[in-house]
Amino acid sequence: MSSNKTDDAVSEYLHEVELRLAGLPLLQRRELLADLRAHIATERLERSANSEGEILEILERLGNPEEVAAAAYEEAGPQRATTRPAPVGAPARPRLLLGAVVIAVLIFAFLAVGLFVADRATNAPAQSVPAPVASP
Amino acid sequence: MGDGAQLSTSLRRGTLEFCVLAMVELEDRYGTEIVRRLGEERGLAASEGTIYPLLSRLRRVGWLHSKWSESPSGPPRRYYSLTDDGRGALTHFRTEWVSFRQTVDRLVGTGTP
Repeated sequence: MSSNKTDDAVSEYLHEVELRLAGLPLLQRRELLADLRAHIATERLERSANSEGEILEILERLGNPEEVAAAAYEEAGPQRATTRPAPVGAPARPRLLLGAVVIAVLIFAFLAVGLFVADRATNAPAQSVPAPVASP
Repeated sequence: MGDGAQLSTSLRRGTLEFCVLAMVELEDRYGTEIVRRLGEERGLAASEGTIYPLLSRLRRVGWLHSKWSESPSGPPRRYYSLTDDGRGALTHFRTEWVSFRQTVDRLVGTGTP
């Protein structure tokens, strides 16, 4: 296996993690990437891992980028939680939920107004119709 | 996430960091060493990569000190050592943990009779 190909796998992994760290302070982002890079380099050397399979095993033990980034946000503390972006490729559930609630309230309001208007419309003729009929 | 993974996550929260502190209590260790050791224990860490953010937090709260150092053969290593505050936190945890464990054992029925 060429060293280029294994380097590609490592670069891609680090890039995938980095993509998910946008909401973290710059220094924490750099620190984590440097730690992961050093970890991979140390593991490669100390385990004499050269084949692509062995490199992938090292990356697998590190965990998927989603999981590593989630830990980074969790450890960053609650003050960072507000700046946390939606995970890449996953729906922003809280926003969806809020949207659903707003839509439900709007629909309810429309129905209520509609029923009220309809009610007045059906009652109104009953009171106003007799007048023109009686006038001639 | 299954119930088993959920339980592991809950149990890990608040305890894993003291396992990390205990690892560097007697001697300084570098990141990969700590991560590898914890990774060997079943159900302790979610995955190796999740330990680095934990190490970062322990450094930021002042319980760990870290220093990059050149390695004789290979990439630079980041060595972690326990600060005085970290030592105090670990001592406090040990006391709390024993009484907490005894209480849970008594209530759940897992203690030795």
